[in-house]
Amino acid sequence: MAVLLELKGVGKAFGATRVLEHIDLAVEDGEFITILGPSGSGKTTILRMIGGFTQPDQGQILLDGRDIAHDPINRRPFNTVFQDYALFPHMTVAGNVGYGLKVRGTANAVIKQRVGEVLDLVQLGSLAARYPAQLSGGQRQRVALARAIICQPRLILLDEPLAALDVELRKQMQEFLKDIHREIKTTFLFVTHDQEEAIAMADRICVMNYGKILQLGSPTEVYYRPHSEFVARFFGDNNLIEGVAGDRGSVATPIGTLPCAADGTEPAAGAKAFAVIRPEAIRIGNEPGANTVVAGQVSSVNFGGAATVAVVDVAGVPLRVKLPSRAEGLPLKVGDRVQLAWRTEDCRLVAA
Amino acid sequence: MTAKPIEADRIWRGIALLAAYGLPIFFILLPLCGFLVYSLFWVEGTELHYELTLVNYRRFFTDEIYVPVLRQTVVLCLEVAGLCIAFGYPVAYFLSGLKGRKKYTLLMLLLVPLLMSYIIKMYAIRSILGGNGFLNRSLIALGIIDQPLTFFVFNLNAVLLTLSVLLLPFAILPIFLSLERIPKNLLEASADLGGSNAQSFFRVILPLSLPGVISAATFVFVLAIGDFLTPQMVGGQSGFTFGRIIYSQFGTAFNWPFGSALSVILAAVVIVAILVGARFGGEKAGVHR
Ligand SMILES: Nc1ncnc2c1ncn2[C@@H]1O[C@H](COP(=O)(O)OP(=O)(O)OP(=O)(O)O)[C@@H](O)[C@H]1O
Ligand SMILES: [Mg+2]
Repeated sequence: MAVLLELKGVGKAFGATRVLEHIDLAVEDGEFITILGPSGSGKTTILRMIGGFTQPDQGQILLDGRDIAHDPINRRPFNTVFQDYALFPHMTVAGNVGYGLKVRGTANAVIKQRVGEVLDLVQLGSLAARYPAQLSGGQRQRVALARAIICQPRLILLDEPLAALDVELRKQMQEFLKDIHREIKTTFLFVTHDQEEAIAMADRICVMNYGKILQLGSPTEVYYRPHSEFVARFFGDNNLIEGVAGDRGSVATPIGTLPCAADGTEPAAGAKAFAVIRPEAIRIGNEPGANTVVAGQVSSVNFGGAATVAVVDVAGVPLRVKLPSRAEGLPLKVGDRVQLAWRTEDCRLVAA
Repeated sequence: MTAKPIEADRIWRGIALLAAYGLPIFFILLPLCGFLVYSLFWVEGTELHYELTLVNYRRFFTDEIYVPVLRQTVVLCLEVAGLCIAFGYPVAYFLSGLKGRKKYTLLMLLLVPLLMSYIIKMYAIRSILGGNGFLNRSLIALGIIDQPLTFFVFNLNAVLLTLSVLLLPFAILPIFLSLERIPKNLLEASADLGGSNAQSFFRVILPLSLPGVISAATFVFVLAIGDFLTPQMVGGQSGFTFGRIIYSQFGTAFNWPFGSALSVILAAVVIVAILVGARFGGEKAGVHR
């Protein structure tokens, strides 16, 4: 894929606080890329610099090889879906959606036709004459999206657009955004602090913390192959076992020396490190194909719907094991002595 | 032990209710009704007849000076409102664009004249506008004119200018407040969609601040039309307004019933102005929610 937009060494400080440190990020043409990070990590700041609402202190923002970091907002071929939608309260849905064309001096007949098309795309055709105050949260959301796509921008910026919606609607809107993305094939840059949302939607996830990019990759990459303790902890309920890194990706821990899959990002031998094992990668009993087997005692079993989580104490280290639930219950009770097994490729090594 | 506070509570609630409804009724509605009743009496020479008649209203509509003066006064006050908006809007816009402490300090400075004595302000303006006033003398000193200009001295123009200066803060405040209420991200959205600064202003800021403009205009109009002191002091012979006529009926002419009738008519005009303002302002603001 071709690179659409490139951030090179972008830095930003508000007063004495450094918010972004040397950000390098290449956005590819047509992809759905998500910036994921906890509150205050600088996600919005990156988005606002691309949109032109904030200027970077250092670095370049390249579009077609030209630095646009200091171009005015209205000259950039990007449109934004704001977190609280920022719909114009005194304009109808049609007025809001057509605004971008209107200020470009497009003929009214053309505007009318385009607004109709885009409203149909977001399934709001029947609400064109309503005012934003007369819409539900999900409908406003779609108006904001329609308004952003009508000018056919090169890039659509979305800052936590689903944060205000309830869980059910949120799931629907995630699907909906993906559908729209497939349909119009425009590049989406989506900000969220919700890792499930990021995994469900993105082609690539860019994980941030404290103004730095920690890892950039596909959802499966960041989920299964974390490069740092932060990323390993950020995605759900990983088991992190502290130890000291050895040769060839192994790690010496209180429960033994564990072999780990290596991909060149591991800490050097002798450094403090964590073995990272996803709870769903651990099997109970010695299964064929497993490379690592440890023994322990069940200390709790918690039914959680689709999955049941058992905590097994292995030499003083609690390991979470996630198993598919069954109606008759799992053949596990507190106090049972069990063997835990996993494959070497399911164990990763990250620096402590 | 527990019953007492509840009892006291009830009494206090009753007093509060009485104050909330009683005070306006006692100090506003009753006097107004008094005027209404008084306007139905009539005067012969210096003698007041307590008989109900519509003669005062008939006189207002048939005599050839009162209706034209009322019309002229309404036009004048509309002009005052227009001037106040024309000057107040840019000031309010400038203020709302400032940041942090500076904004509110400047706002306070602009509003201080509101607290100053009316009479002092008027003398101050008189000493600027008068034939020998600061304005004329400066113009002469600068060699722009030879003779003092008279078009703003002791006539309707002087009333117009003075009222506008006096009432300007009343226009700035509502407009400022309505500008402050516009979320900043609407401007970002406008620019994001390709709007220039001018387009953002005319398509987003201006329409959203209209409720403020309308309440500013209503404020200024109502305050201006009720004013008789300003025209009295800077209007001279030609700067005659409806308020002055009412004043003279209660003063020199000593015809209280006729003065009351004129007051009732003025009150009707004011009420209409407020209703019109509320209607337009409400319509515009209704869209917000
Ligand atoms: N205008 C500003 N002035 C000062 N500090 C700011 C400003 N904007 C952002 N910051 C600071 O920059 C840091 C990053 O902010 P940013 O809004 O980019 O975070 P975020 O990742 O979007 O967080 P959230 O998930 O809470 O929206 C925060 O510590 C914030 O306090
Ligand atoms: Mg944010």
